[in-house]
Amino acid sequence: MQKKIAITALVPPELIYACGCKPFDVNNVIPFSKKYPRNKLCAWTAIWQEMLSKREIKIDSLIVVAGGDCHNALVDGQKVAMSGIPTHFFFYPFDGSSEYLESQFQKVSDFLGGIKAPEKPEEIMELKKIGLQIDKKRAAGKLTSGDTFRILISFSDLASDLDTFRETISLIRETDIKINNRIALIGVPPIYPDFHDVAQSLGLDVIFDELPFEFIRHSGRDIQTIARDYCNYTFARPLDFRIKFLQKELKKRNVDGIIHYTQFSCHHMLEDDILRSNLDYPMLTIQGDLPGNTPEQIKLRLEAFREALERS
Amino acid sequence: MIGLDVGSTTAKKVSIEDGEIKYEITDTHNWKDLITGIDGKDIISTGYFRNTVPHHASVTEITAAIYGVRHYFPDADVIVDIGGQDTKVIDIRKNNFTINDKCSAGTGAFLEFVANYFKIELTEMGSYHIRAKRIPAINNTCGVFALSEMISQLVAGYSKEEVIAGMHYAFARRISFMIPEAESLVLIGGTVKNKGMVSALCDILKKKVFVPDEPQIVNALGALKYFS
Repeated sequence: MQKKIAITALVPPELIYACGCKPFDVNNVIPFSKKYPRNKLCAWTAIWQEMLSKREIKIDSLIVVAGGDCHNALVDGQKVAMSGIPTHFFFYPFDGSSEYLESQFQKVSDFLGGIKAPEKPEEIMELKKIGLQIDKKRAAGKLTSGDTFRILISFSDLASDLDTFRETISLIRETDIKINNRIALIGVPPIYPDFHDVAQSLGLDVIFDELPFEFIRHSGRDIQTIARDYCNYTFARPLDFRIKFLQKELKKRNVDGIIHYTQFSCHHMLEDDILRSNLDYPMLTIQGDLPGNTPEQIKLRLEAFREALERS
Repeated sequence: MIGLDVGSTTAKKVSIEDGEIKYEITDTHNWKDLITGIDGKDIISTGYFRNTVPHHASVTEITAAIYGVRHYFPDADVIVDIGGQDTKVIDIRKNNFTINDKCSAGTGAFLEFVANYFKIELTEMGSYHIRAKRIPAINNTCGVFALSEMISQLVAGYSKEEVIAGMHYAFARRISFMIPEAESLVLIGGTVKNKGMVSALCDILKKKVFVPDEPQIVNALGALKYFS
C-alpha cells in the first residue's frame, strides 16, 4: 500500500513517487472548502492546517515547505505536527545552492524510507513535456484558460496517481479561442475555483500562470539532477531572480497585462510595488481571502482592468 | 440619453440639455424614481448596480470617473473617489487603479459610524471640524478600533468637535497611503462633500486638491460621456 504524503507547496513529486509514495497537494482541495478556520492569517495555510489536524483529510505523513515559499506554513505545519501527524520540514535555498538542495532532498528521501522506484522521475519527465505543450497551446488559443489552469495546477502531485493523470491529460480536446487580452497571472494561484473562467468571460484571457508553470518546468532523473533543476524554483529565490524570469516569459508570450494575485495576510503582497516597478505592463492587484466563487468586488476590478487595457 | 450611477448608498442621474448639466440624486433604494418615463435604451449605467438596472450600455465606475473628471479637469493626473463602501484611487497617467474595500477605515461608512455615534447628520461633520481647537491623535488603522480610540479621547477631555476632526485626520491618513506621487489630485464621491475630511486630506497630502462643484455626480456624467 502506497503511503499518502501531503505536501503544502512545491516538493518535487519525482522524489515522492521515487520513494514509492503518492504525493497529495493539500492546496488542491482548498478552493472547494467551506471552512472558516479559527485562527487564520492566510486562508490557504489555515484551512489545510485545520483539515489535517482534525483528520478531515486522511494522510500518512506531511512535508511542509517551511523555507523559500509560504512563510505561514512554518507555524501551521508545526500545529499539524503537534496533532500527531509525522511531519518533515523542508527548506529551499535562497541562494539557489544545488548542493544544499540535494542535502534537503536526501533528508526528504530518508523521511520517506529511501528510493524504491527510481524509474518514476523519468515517467514524470515525459508527463511534464506534455504539460509544457499544453501551456504553449493555451498561449496559442487552442485551449481554454480555465481547463489549462486546472491541469497545470495538478502537476504538483499529478493527481496522486500517474496512470490516472496520464489518462486525464490525454482527454483534453483542442478548440479555437479568440483571445481578447493576453493576461499573465502571477503570484499565488487564486483561491476562487472559477477565477480563470470568470476572467475569460470578462475579456481577460489568462495565458500564463506563474506558479503552475513552475510545476511543469522542473524535473530530473535522480536526487542530484532534480536538485540542480529545482534550485531555480523562482518563488524560493530572491525577487530579482524571479523578476528576470518573469520578464523573459511575459515577453515570449506577448502579454498585454498582468494580474498579480495575492492572499490576505500573505507576504507576497509586500512584493507588489517591486513587481509593479519592474514589470512594464499594466497590472491589476487582487487580494483574495476565503475560498468560494469569485466575489463581485473582484469581478468589478477585472471588468475595470479590461476597460483600462482597452483604453491603452 | 442619461448617465445613471446606482452606487452602494445613493443613485445619481445626469443629462446634458443645451450644454447644461442637469442632475438628480436620491437614495439607492429609490433609483427607479430617477428613470420614470425613460426607456432603458436611453440609459448608460455605472456603479455597483450598473448591470441590474435597465441600460443600453454599462461601464465600471473607474472608467466613468476618468471621463467625468476630464469634463471638469482635462489635465487631471490622479482621481480619488471616496464612496460609501469603498475608496478608489485612479492614476490616469499610468492607467492604473487601486480599490480599498476590505476595511471600513477608508470608506464613507467609517464617517457614517462616527456621525451615528454623535447622533448628527453626515452633512454636519464639516462644520463641527472647523470649530475644533485641537486635533487629538487617533492612530488605529482599524475602523472599529478607531471608534474605541475616539471614545477614549472623549474620556480624556477632548470636545465633540475635536474628536470629529481627529477622526477626519485618521480617515485622511488611511486614504493617503493609497495615493501615488502626483502634483495634484481630484476628489470625487459623496464623502468629499464633507469639508472637514477634505481639509484633513489637503493638510496631510500637501498637494493641490481639486473638488468639482457637485462631486457626487461625476461618475454618472462620465458614463454618459463615455458613450456619447
